[in-house]
Amino acid sequence: MSKPGFHGPLERVNDCCWRIPKSYKKGMRVDGLIYASEAMLDQIKGDQAPEQVANVAFLPGIQHASLAMPDIHWGYGFCIGGVCATDPEEGGVISPGGVGYDINCGVRLVRSNLDYQEVKPHLVELVDRLFRNVPAGVGRGGKYKFNRRELAQLMQLGPACLQDRGLTTAGDLDHTEAGGCLAGAVPEAVSDRAMERGSGQCGTLGSGNHFLEVQVVDAIFDDVAAAAMGLHKDMVCVMIHSGSRGLGYQVCDDALKQLRGVPEKYGIELPDRQLACAPIESPEGEQYLGAMCAAANYAWCNRQLLMAQARDVFAEVFGRSWQSLQMNLVYDVAHNIAKLETHALGGRRRRVWVHRKGATRAFPPHHKEVPDVYQKIGQPVLIPGDMGRASWVLVGQAGSMEQTFGTACHGAGRKMSRTQAVRQAKGRRIDQELAARGVVARARGWRGLAEEQPDAYKDVNTVVDVVHHANLAAKVARMRPIGVIKG
Amino acid sequence: MYEVFAHTADVGIRVRAGSLEDLFADAARGLVSLIVTNLEQVKPVQEKVIRIEGDDREYLLFDWLNELLYQFDAEQLLLTDFTIRFDRDGLTATCRGERMEFSRHDMDHEVKAITYHGLTLERKADHWLAEVIVDI
Repeated sequence: MSKPGFHGPLERVNDCCWRIPKSYKKGMRVDGLIYASEAMLDQIKGDQAPEQVANVAFLPGIQHASLAMPDIHWGYGFCIGGVCATDPEEGGVISPGGVGYDINCGVRLVRSNLDYQEVKPHLVELVDRLFRNVPAGVGRGGKYKFNRRELAQLMQLGPACLQDRGLTTAGDLDHTEAGGCLAGAVPEAVSDRAMERGSGQCGTLGSGNHFLEVQVVDAIFDDVAAAAMGLHKDMVCVMIHSGSRGLGYQVCDDALKQLRGVPEKYGIELPDRQLACAPIESPEGEQYLGAMCAAANYAWCNRQLLMAQARDVFAEVFGRSWQSLQMNLVYDVAHNIAKLETHALGGRRRRVWVHRKGATRAFPPHHKEVPDVYQKIGQPVLIPGDMGRASWVLVGQAGSMEQTFGTACHGAGRKMSRTQAVRQAKGRRIDQELAARGVVARARGWRGLAEEQPDAYKDVNTVVDVVHHANLAAKVARMRPIGVIKG
Repeated sequence: MYEVFAHTADVGIRVRAGSLEDLFADAARGLVSLIVTNLEQVKPVQEKVIRIEGDDREYLLFDWLNELLYQFDAEQLLLTDFTIRFDRDGLTATCRGERMEFSRHDMDHEVKAITYHGLTLERKADHWLAEVIVDI
């Protein structure tokens, strides 16, 4: 496939926001709005991601605008970094492509009471043990096995049902978006195939851009918010990035198959097959929502079990329980999901389905869905960068509710394709380059590290600057990686 | 023959073949080559018959690749050798391969899904051409 750039209009709204007017394409119901700095525009216009922002504006019931975050890049159907909200009362649709294959892919951050100097002498051993004990990579099954009844429970209840096995605490649940459980889950809507793919994969990392990182807090930007999260400079943390594994991929796939011919049935015209959708209030829409919520709950269980395994490794290496290491969950965010939320639109409060495809919820202080301990500071927003530079903790700001349905970015965003990254890495040892930067990296193969090398990503700092200046989320802490495990 | 091409976050497979049967077989090998780098190490010791129904060729290709992905993800079955027959209602493929073994198979990508984005299957003057992008 050729890769032509985007030649349509991008009008300046302000320093952080650019508009594709709905007059750009017949069929757009709202404008497209891309949050980015001026310096990012050339890169963004280099592929079809802005066209995808315009295409999403075709979806029935879409409100305000088809939005994209500064880590926007070309996806399939929706761009990655895309956000849209649809109103069921206006014939709004739900689109599996607006969630993605990896339903509830997300990130969690775990703190500790260890400082870098304490961990440094044990770092190689720690990372090696994490690599040995936390299943990562294609085809690697997990140590936890669930039968069908138990799987159904995971999908219905999320990590809460792991509490009686000692694998989840009340504090973990309180610090997980939505408490780790979407209420609308219908495990019966999940196919046998999805269950088979998911039965041995809960508690496994997967491959691609998924990772488990040991990080050090290297800068604090907001002392009050950092203190509320229990973060301070030089603290060692663990960041985990994974999703719903084969179960979620199959749920998305099943839905896209079931939706063949459905847009036509409801008279919905779409510019791209991958935008397949159904009215929220339709049997097809309800079927997908039930299965999507079930897969989301499974994903929270997956990250919970990954965290449990990481806590065990720390306890082994440092000879103390994870509780005495104070390895508490700071927060867990979903960045591929659709959720029913209340937002102010046209002067009244409306219930809309917010699709976040590579975008993170960023609710401000005093929002009722923010845990009590974070009420004064706002919801933690976790932004993983690349494995050589930095990751970020931010907190949601009021501007997100006014502009982006309570949403901010989700990562750095790729700038190189995987093949291009591999070409660039020919003859290089990425693991040794990382080691020279003080990062111990372990991966199943050379190619995995080559594809995920720091240079394959945009600079996460510039992405974070945009959401900070746009008042979507404010900087709290920056972490640098010291240990990486990849599939 | 197949080749792998770039797509920002994901990877595409482009296949050219003289017949539809070869096109489907090469597309399948292209997919499996993303999962395991040393395809030649996959021995044709296990046989699996797969039936795909449908009348739209693009969807047929999509469903075919999807089925192979499922066989790998649920059964760890790597299939690399195919005898494919088309009929009015779809295709029947006799597939040969074996279960993944970490000691011999050099595992590479976890393919999450086959996507509809940019999915094409065309008959050219003297060959068939297909493109599919997979989610990594």
